[in-house]
Amino acid sequence: MPIERSSSRAAVWAILRKECRSEWRTRYGLNAALLFAITSLTAVSFAVGRLTDRHDMLAALLWVVLLFAALASLSHAFVREVEGRTLTLLRLVADPTAIAFGKLLFNLLFLVTIEVVTVPLFLVLMGAPGPRWPAFLAVLAAGSVALAAAATVVGAIISQTRGRGALFAGAAFPILLPVLAAAVSATRAQWSGGTVDGELRLLIAYAVALLAVSLLLFDHLWED
Amino acid sequence: MNPARVEVEGEEVGHHYGRRVGLRSTSFRLESPGVVAIRGANGSGKSTLMRILAGLLRPSHGRTRLRIGERELAAKGRFRHVGYAAPDLAFYPEFSVTENLAFAAETRGDSRPSVAVKEAVEQVGLQTRAADRVAALSSGMLQRLRLAFALLHDPALLLLDEPANHLDEEGRVTFETWLGRARGGRLIVMATNDEREWRLADRTIELQGRGLGDPA
Repeated sequence: MPIERSSSRAAVWAILRKECRSEWRTRYGLNAALLFAITSLTAVSFAVGRLTDRHDMLAALLWVVLLFAALASLSHAFVREVEGRTLTLLRLVADPTAIAFGKLLFNLLFLVTIEVVTVPLFLVLMGAPGPRWPAFLAVLAAGSVALAAAATVVGAIISQTRGRGALFAGAAFPILLPVLAAAVSATRAQWSGGTVDGELRLLIAYAVALLAVSLLLFDHLWED
Repeated sequence: MNPARVEVEGEEVGHHYGRRVGLRSTSFRLESPGVVAIRGANGSGKSTLMRILAGLLRPSHGRTRLRIGERELAAKGRFRHVGYAAPDLAFYPEFSVTENLAFAAETRGDSRPSVAVKEAVEQVGLQTRAADRVAALSSGMLQRLRLAFALLHDPALLLLDEPANHLDEEGRVTFETWLGRARGGRLIVMATNDEREWRLADRTIELQGRGLGDPA
């Protein structure tokens, strides 16, 4: 049986496909996330009507809905492996960095899938003004990468601990806050006619910093 | 069959789980080819030693060395060369036997994953259950899957913790045949208290001490 030198790229790709197949079979996260997004947007729409001129409210509401819809699943990427006792299997087939990047890519894909459904629904139900698409999509992309990276790092760290649920909230709060603040500010700015360059740079820099921390941390995270 | 020479060495290697002893300090040197059985009372540290050798657990003190050919492998890179089957090895219940093994082969970068999976499944007699989801397997079938997983990437070192666990008589015969084929030039280390498995070994190591439960 010829074995090629295991390339990390092949491992990342295989882990991403495994995550997608597992999610498709079990629907652990997607159904719950979409249900939350749709019901919360519908409820807010009925309660407060259209928020066309409230750019600050629109921006905050969009990111709060995205965050809460996605977070339960994003934070469980590693917890599922620990609770299903499959982390040993993963560690026997790939190096920690490949595992982490496979999970990160899946989290990003999961977030994008939620956004594809949630954002158009949000724009219609909330009566949001037409966004400046290039700026809006750039903020959405950078915010999603930063959010996925933050949730992946924190999820990996807390997966080996006992009080995972409570710890995730505590550990994630200071890491997610800068992402949310910058994303909300940039989203509001693009509706109000302001520039988004500063916040966009901050989101990108933050995402890069989180990815760098991930690279340094993941080799040491799962040693018993 | 893997022809590379394998040497495993432990120097005063031991482990604590918090304040409890998982493995008392022990030293050893093992070489391929051959089958080594590790015996010891419950909690003496057999499984802990297997996890340390596989690179899954960092010992609290001492060190292990794994040399394959001329290369010494760090714990981090051992997974490419070590086959591991143990009771703590679980699979994805929503995937079939074939899908679990194919995932392992593809993730390791095997150039012919489907061939490797087919051979591994045949060797442990799981052909008729290959398409079944892991959630539907009995304990014995799950144990066969663990053995298939261990040999999937033609590793130079096989670490088998309680390898005939849950197997019925037919399964045990299949395991003994499988072990005979797996020997080749490999080093096979089995952690077991089963007399029938000791007899398959060329050498036996006895771990002393009661292990877990003893204060450090």
